[in-house]
Amino acid sequence: MDKLLRNKTAIFIFVAPALILFTVVLFIPIGTSFYYALCTYDRTTRSYSFIGLGNFQKMLTDPNMRIALKNSLFFLLFSCISQLIMGLLLAGLLTNIKKGRNLFKNVIYMPCVLSSAALGLLWAFLFHAKVGINNLLANFGIKGPAWLYSTTGFITLPMWVIAFVALWQYVGQSMMLYMAQISGISKSLYEASYIDGATKAKAFRYITLPLIKPMVGTAMSLNAIGSLKFFDLIYSMLGDKTENLKMDVLATYLYRTGFSSKGGHHYGYASAIGIVLVILCLLATAIINRIFKTENYEM
Amino acid sequence: MKKRWLSVLLSAAMVAGTLTMAVPAQAEEGGEVQEITWMFWDDLEASEDNITKGFADVIDRFNTDYEGVYHVTPITTTLEEYYTQLNALVDAGQTPDVFIVSPGPNLDDYVLPGVAAPLDEYLEADGWKDTFSSDAVFAQQTYDGKIYAVPLNIAAACVFYNKEIFEEAGAEVPTTYDELLETCQKIKDAGYTPITISAGTAWCLSMLAGYLCDREGVDLDAVNSGEESWNNEKTVAAGEKLLELSQYFQETAAGDSNDDATAALYFEEAAILIQGSWAIGQMNGANPDFEEKCGVFQFPAIEGGNDPNRVIAKSDSLAMSSTTASPEACVALMKYFTDDEAQRYTAEVGGKIPVTNVEYDADAAPAQLADVMDIFNNATGTFGFYNESLVSSDAGSYFDNQMVKIFQKELTPEEAFQAVEDWYAENGYR
Amino acid sequence: MEKKKKKIKPSTILIYVFFIFMMVIYLAPVVWIAMTSLKTRAEIYKNPFAAPTVFHWENYKVAWEAGKLGIAMLNSLFVCVVTLVLTMLLGSMAAFAIGRMRWKLANAAMVYILIGMMIPVHCVLIPLFVRFANIGLSNNLWGLILPYLTFSLPTSVYIMTGFFRSIPNELLESACIDGCSIYKIFFQIALPLSRTGLFVTGLMTFIANWNELLLALVFISDGNKKTLPVALTKFVTPYQTNYDKMFPAIMIAIIPTIVVYTLFSNQIVDGLTTGAVKG
Repeated sequence: MDKLLRNKTAIFIFVAPALILFTVVLFIPIGTSFYYALCTYDRTTRSYSFIGLGNFQKMLTDPNMRIALKNSLFFLLFSCISQLIMGLLLAGLLTNIKKGRNLFKNVIYMPCVLSSAALGLLWAFLFHAKVGINNLLANFGIKGPAWLYSTTGFITLPMWVIAFVALWQYVGQSMMLYMAQISGISKSLYEASYIDGATKAKAFRYITLPLIKPMVGTAMSLNAIGSLKFFDLIYSMLGDKTENLKMDVLATYLYRTGFSSKGGHHYGYASAIGIVLVILCLLATAIINRIFKTENYEM
Repeated sequence: MKKRWLSVLLSAAMVAGTLTMAVPAQAEEGGEVQEITWMFWDDLEASEDNITKGFADVIDRFNTDYEGVYHVTPITTTLEEYYTQLNALVDAGQTPDVFIVSPGPNLDDYVLPGVAAPLDEYLEADGWKDTFSSDAVFAQQTYDGKIYAVPLNIAAACVFYNKEIFEEAGAEVPTTYDELLETCQKIKDAGYTPITISAGTAWCLSMLAGYLCDREGVDLDAVNSGEESWNNEKTVAAGEKLLELSQYFQETAAGDSNDDATAALYFEEAAILIQGSWAIGQMNGANPDFEEKCGVFQFPAIEGGNDPNRVIAKSDSLAMSSTTASPEACVALMKYFTDDEAQRYTAEVGGKIPVTNVEYDADAAPAQLADVMDIFNNATGTFGFYNESLVSSDAGSYFDNQMVKIFQKELTPEEAFQAVEDWYAENGYR
Repeated sequence: MEKKKKKIKPSTILIYVFFIFMMVIYLAPVVWIAMTSLKTRAEIYKNPFAAPTVFHWENYKVAWEAGKLGIAMLNSLFVCVVTLVLTMLLGSMAAFAIGRMRWKLANAAMVYILIGMMIPVHCVLIPLFVRFANIGLSNNLWGLILPYLTFSLPTSVYIMTGFFRSIPNELLESACIDGCSIYKIFFQIALPLSRTGLFVTGLMTFIANWNELLLALVFISDGNKKTLPVALTKFVTPYQTNYDKMFPAIMIAIIPTIVVYTLFSNQIVDGLTTGAVKG
């Protein structure tokens, strides 16, 4: 048996494809990306020239970068907090009912598996300046707000709108994660607490919450990385209007700088934005793990 | 167990295999046919743009007529990603044989590194060049006396208006900027939106800014070369007028796309739209009743300013790859774009001005085209979109965005034009 | 127990009211696009919330043809199925070697692969775009499959490693005594025993790639090679928004997912949740 499991050829055959793929499609490009981030790309000669930290220096004074960073961090915070609250609320309520639980759960989860590109087009129409919800409001003589094009305020209205659409789409995942954890908690713990005279709310506070703390960490890291990578919804809802509406996030800014016909082809700068994005992802995961890393309770 | 897994894997692999075959990879039969590619910035089938539809016809005609000799495969992208994808193909040594390109800094990017081939020998070979309405149509495509691209059509930016609303409001067609303001006020008092414009799609607002700058007499060559600063009396005056006009825009201007803004005109909610003549087909198509109500006038003059008969014009042009294996096929294709049938379509359906001396049926053409042609033929000069006339396409989009900032009152006109000036300095154009 | 039966607490009613409200928020948009997709453009503009007066089924035909949605769907299917099969195969192979076989660098290999989970695809977008353009992989569906596969592998390796480790030793040993080769053990014993894991990883891979937009947007410009999410975005162009084609196209894009989801919702929801927990 041992000999069989130490078969070098077999190990090589099993692992090599995955490792080679990883090296070629992921790690070498990351290296290249770091190099590009230190370069500037000249599109008439189609060549890269080394400029050291120039791109990162430029970022410090680039107002668009500041907006993208601000919006991305807002998304990060909003989605972590809102998904935690809504996810826990839905999971807590669902575990308290019997009839319809399955239906409710499945319907709320559904948008998670649908294409953001398609859903984005739908919501963009609903929040259209005239024809969507605002048309409905106009029938009652109410002038609808500039859902998707207001540019005032520190966090603009469109940012809130899209953040809520994202919450609508993805809260099902957090809900399911919490539900899975809650249903794993032994019934006897609750029964014991009820005998001791605890109310349901108290049981939730003192039994459920501490026991699902590790899951909060997992769900939150997923949300955090997801919200930093956020691209599909914004792109399909706003298209090329992100810059003038001050609605760029890091991913759309990277896409615009790298690939848009208007102001694109800055591969060096776009790579530098990519590097910032990776660093933020790593930082966010590290911080969340730090906060929620707890001894696992016996369940 | 074994069999089940194998069969799952096998059937999956088979599905994958059949699908690869199902994905058309352009049947490669017989070595005789000369295959070329043509790259374009709109989807030939999904688009409702009449010019695009006309191009789709051209491609079909070419492939049918030359069946067995030449064959062209279109590569289409969206306008937004067009140059990125084109550059990727150029970098990979797979430059499309024929590709569409806007004259100006975009064409520079392909002419200067030698990606596009000079076309003079083909143009002069069999009288092709003589079919064009004048040599002037090649002005923007000529570098050092050589022509590097063939224009396909010309679109002129004009002011479209709703005659009925004007009548109802007792407004006159304005010829000066002050009259324009008066007209707008009357329309507003009559309860309509005076001007519909898209600031969400920055180039639309920028087109208006371009007209104002030109009417004020901004010398584009001087500001581009650095002889003059972008922050000068004339540009600032234009910026202030842009701001002044913005009180007459529809309330949702900041968020409306070009499409929304145009819809407000043809659904008769707004009275005035400043737009290129390509919008004619879209307006008449979406609301056929609107055709007879729609008038066209020249962008008004500014007293004490520049010649008021200058028109913003834009042409689509085709360039040929300098590395193409079959220049004959490419030239044959380009000729199809400028033959009588294509050019007649351009005028009668596309609503753009033909580049050749083709005779077309003025009655078949949209009513607005005659007015546009009048304006264009009486023009004393043409100039390009500002965003395509600056030192680079980046400069152009930076300019567009500053105009939006003026509109959003985020920057004063002085600050906005100073920002453009600073951009020139930072990027080494000063 | 008996006492409880008839008593309906007010709090329970409140919970139901809340969830019915949630159902409306979740289902109304879908019902509404279904309705809107049958209206003309003028109707959509003027009266977006009214039910269609005449059902314009031809909208679907027009959208299907104009958007080349048939080809787009085949492309998406091709890309996703190939990625799915390869991910399950390569992922479980690597997972088996890492989880069950004995070699010094097993842990290092695991860490190497797990780093991939932290890295967003955005970061390699530009190098891949430049490289792929040079070797003819741009405008090529394999140019999508390679990165999709690479980014799907870490989760699948991680999940499968867990499943392989939970297989009792005795099972493998008895197979060994029967004279099975290591490959036979893998394909005939380990893999079938980890079906759930394969199902979970397959599901996650398929859904993530079916909806992927950014890479597909950047790598594919040829209209005959676009995937479904990219095909949808072309209904919104700088010149026009074709609402009367856009809504049928959205429906066409989401109906297959909704149908499959409705049929297998419990398995899908549980599978994806397991995947997320493990990943």
